[in-house]
Amino acid sequence: MDVHLGSVRGGWLVASALSCVAAAGPSVAHAEVSASEVAEQGRYLAIAGDCGGCHTRPGGGQAFAGGYAIESPVGAIYSTNITSSSIAGIGAYTEAQFSRALREGIRRDGTHLYPAMPYTAYAKLSDADIRALYVYFTKSVHPVDAQPPVTRLPFPFNLRTSMWIWNTLFLPTARFTPDPHRSAEWNRGAYLAEALEHCGACHTPRNALMAEQLRREFAGTRVGGWYAPNITSDPVSGIGAWTRDELVQYLKTGALHGKAQAAGGMAEAVGNSLQYLTSQDLDALATYLLSVAPIRDQSESRARDTWGAPVEYEAELRGRATTAGSEQPEGNALYSGNCASCHQPTGAGTADHSYPALFHNTATGARHADNLVAAILFGVDRDVSDGHALMPRFDATSYVQPLNDAEVASLANYVLHEFGNPAVHVTIEDVAGTRSRGFAKGLVLGTRGLLIFAALAIVTLGVWILSRRRRAHS
Amino acid sequence: MNVRRFNNGDADADLVVVGSGVVGALIAEQIAGAERSVLVLEAGPRLDRAQVVENWRNLNFQQRVSSDYQSLYPQSPLATAPLEFPPNGYVLLTGKDGESFHQGYIRAVGGTTWHWAASCWRHLPVDFQMRAKYGVGRDWPISYSDLEPYYCRAEEAMGVSGPNDPALQSPVERSRPYPNDMIPWAHGDTRVADIVNPHGYRSVPIPQGRAVRPWKSRPACCGNNNCQPICPIGAMYNAIHTVQAAEAKGVTVLAESVVYAIDTDMNNRVTAVRWYDRNRQSHRATGRAFVIACNALETPRLLLIAANAQNPGGIANRSDQVGRNLMDHSGFHCTFLAGEPLWLGRGPAQSSCLVGARDGAFRSEYSANKMILNNISRVGPATQQALKLGLTGAALREEIRRRTIHGVDLSISLEPLPAPQNRLTLSKTRHDALGLPCPDINYELDDYVHRGYDAAAQQLRHIGNLFNAAEFEVTTSLNANNHMMGSTIMGSDPKDSVVDGNCRAHDHPNLWLPGGGPMPSASVVNSTLTMAALGLKCADSVQRALEHA
Repeated sequence: MDVHLGSVRGGWLVASALSCVAAAGPSVAHAEVSASEVAEQGRYLAIAGDCGGCHTRPGGGQAFAGGYAIESPVGAIYSTNITSSSIAGIGAYTEAQFSRALREGIRRDGTHLYPAMPYTAYAKLSDADIRALYVYFTKSVHPVDAQPPVTRLPFPFNLRTSMWIWNTLFLPTARFTPDPHRSAEWNRGAYLAEALEHCGACHTPRNALMAEQLRREFAGTRVGGWYAPNITSDPVSGIGAWTRDELVQYLKTGALHGKAQAAGGMAEAVGNSLQYLTSQDLDALATYLLSVAPIRDQSESRARDTWGAPVEYEAELRGRATTAGSEQPEGNALYSGNCASCHQPTGAGTADHSYPALFHNTATGARHADNLVAAILFGVDRDVSDGHALMPRFDATSYVQPLNDAEVASLANYVLHEFGNPAVHVTIEDVAGTRSRGFAKGLVLGTRGLLIFAALAIVTLGVWILSRRRRAHS
Repeated sequence: MNVRRFNNGDADADLVVVGSGVVGALIAEQIAGAERSVLVLEAGPRLDRAQVVENWRNLNFQQRVSSDYQSLYPQSPLATAPLEFPPNGYVLLTGKDGESFHQGYIRAVGGTTWHWAASCWRHLPVDFQMRAKYGVGRDWPISYSDLEPYYCRAEEAMGVSGPNDPALQSPVERSRPYPNDMIPWAHGDTRVADIVNPHGYRSVPIPQGRAVRPWKSRPACCGNNNCQPICPIGAMYNAIHTVQAAEAKGVTVLAESVVYAIDTDMNNRVTAVRWYDRNRQSHRATGRAFVIACNALETPRLLLIAANAQNPGGIANRSDQVGRNLMDHSGFHCTFLAGEPLWLGRGPAQSSCLVGARDGAFRSEYSANKMILNNISRVGPATQQALKLGLTGAALREEIRRRTIHGVDLSISLEPLPAPQNRLTLSKTRHDALGLPCPDINYELDDYVHRGYDAAAQQLRHIGNLFNAAEFEVTTSLNANNHMMGSTIMGSDPKDSVVDGNCRAHDHPNLWLPGGGPMPSASVVNSTLTMAALGLKCADSVQRALEHA
């Protein structure tokens, strides 16, 4: 479809079919929409797609100028500059090239992107939304001519061409197709969850080749040091017991008092993206998520936000020397000295919920203690319009108190036993593992994935060499 | 750049810093950021915040209400710091006003910012010219405007919250706004300001190194109200934050490393310092530049201990001024029960302060003052007072409550003038566990301070009347405020001063002695921000020197 530019009301005019960003589904035709409106829609879509989550460096990076280091065990993958700069960004991309990058993971120069870029989700984006994003990024985003650091992974991980095998196997080719038996709201929610917000990038377990296992969609999995939990509609293992309003509140604010609070990558998703969605879109997203087929973990008997109760321990600690800071610190002393000032000696947090209760809290009730350990090590940093929640980190860079693996394990086990799921136990090795996996987001290649990726790369290289030889012979 | 370590434990670095408090840590961080190797030697141990917090909670009632901020901090047996409950006798105080010089300071990684109140005041421009303007004290060799950019940098480094409304600033001369606007006032601050300000007492917000929003990995202050002796959540600036940042930039910090000797060459350049490790083994650190930033007691003590053949009176001491001109803000308290509940004691320990008498022509005759409206919970003292009344049960509870919400404690600071006879020397009879001499201090205040006390006491009686005060009391003995200054005094003449305007020792071209020691005037405000600003100015000087080396 062509873009016609003409001066109307002092702006441009674009005659095209464009997606309506409201709750009516992915694409609603409009006869004529001004370019500034298209760009505004693109801006909204870029927020819903959380492009800035990776392409804007946290802590003062220029918008969409890239340079955010996504750590992997073989080196950092740096996000690219996607500003309108024709030197360093994507200003020189045609819409077709832009579409190919988003939906197929192939840059303008033909090189493959690493799947740290969630192009398998963006493959489902509608043509109209691709266009709006294109207009926004190439016309509205301020150009930044600075080049971010170049990703340099060692051999064979630098052989990006191997991604074509992976793409052949796992890249969906179909755009999002509405289900005619479902409501417009449900379809809008499905489109948001599957395509734009790419929820599955974190919440869906991946197979041996690091592709999302569609049969276990949203069943929960490890993401770096964190655990993206089961968000299917199962009332025990998932979030099926939450009301739609509760889920909307969680998505909007990252905090649901007496149940859960967003940390790690989810805090970023709420802060960068979800909090800015329209209420119709949030409703749609919640409607869809609560309809996702339930997946039960048979080892779970109780929802992760229903464990625990307040305790009264304070008096037992007083009048005797603390073991905090000693060679063998006890969990209760570590809790009292490091945590109780905010979460209170009883674990009940504060009445205004600025500091959450540690019981009835998904971080302490889950079958996996990853998020409890990660919250202790990396803290919680959730900046939303109704306030900036910051729990300090307690890893080696802590300004409050660096805790070693044994201390974190002891502390976590105290918290689990007193306030959470007492069947869960954290070992020193668990803490070391979380510490080394770090504050990652999105696709993180584990050792196994790396080996498989390396094998793919070498096979690709072999095929390429053979084909060259054959060509040379013929 | 990494410090070179040798098999025998010795080390070599571009810069060797002795002391890991706010001043040493800021310098170490800056120089490491300039791609230089930096070694920090700290006499005391690394602290565990949770342990200190628990020690505070377990401290007995008497020590808590007596503001014992020292004994909850573990000490290295080889690096003693003063203790008062019971007194450990580390510092011997003599002279007419020796008893007003009981200083509390911490020898540990991060230094005394572990238990400061984070007040981040600037000196007034006129404080740099006491002799020129008022004919008393000494002038600085640098002006306020020379230091102003460094005040800004120090405020940034410490994440200071202060009033951006000039009507509430002291001083108003600023080139940049505060990193965070003032901590919002509680009812008591506002009410007191409303009552006293029409009478010229000028209550203003205290600029402070904490914020009510997260600041660079620091959580927001939530008003635990025990900044002193320990912020339990790390919201208050503590030099351990800068130490952590410095270590991330490659600085090596060795705790429990007591420096005892300083080696100099033919040109009187410092070539090395020697230290004892925790096992009393001696090691040597060579370097290109050396910073000694212990504090205004431990720095002169080390300089005197380290006397060598070429510097028989002590390092940097050809002027004989090392250890002299010791100052601290002479303090006293005014307590009363206001005629209305003021609800003080919620939020940070210090919030507002009366600065109407910070400056004026009277300073040619007597000391200025500032009056801090202490915001430390009055529950402790109120309980002591109520128990003395013999009350029990509900009556006791109600009386504690009444006294707590009506209680006022003003902490008044006076300005001493630098005087050579106020002096730290080395004890000939008392030694620490390493056999190093303990400090002796002679301290005598002149009438400048006593006349300032009389003026302040008169102002306080007036203030008491404004509040219909009951049980109005003003303490008569002066107390220490832990703001040690003057003992390596700054000046332009090497004959009567120890360091120049960059805190560089007159006697040694590659030795700097930043912190409170160089300050030639005390003003009436807490000294840390000025110390930090001097530290950053010193860091620039060190950086230039390393570039030219």
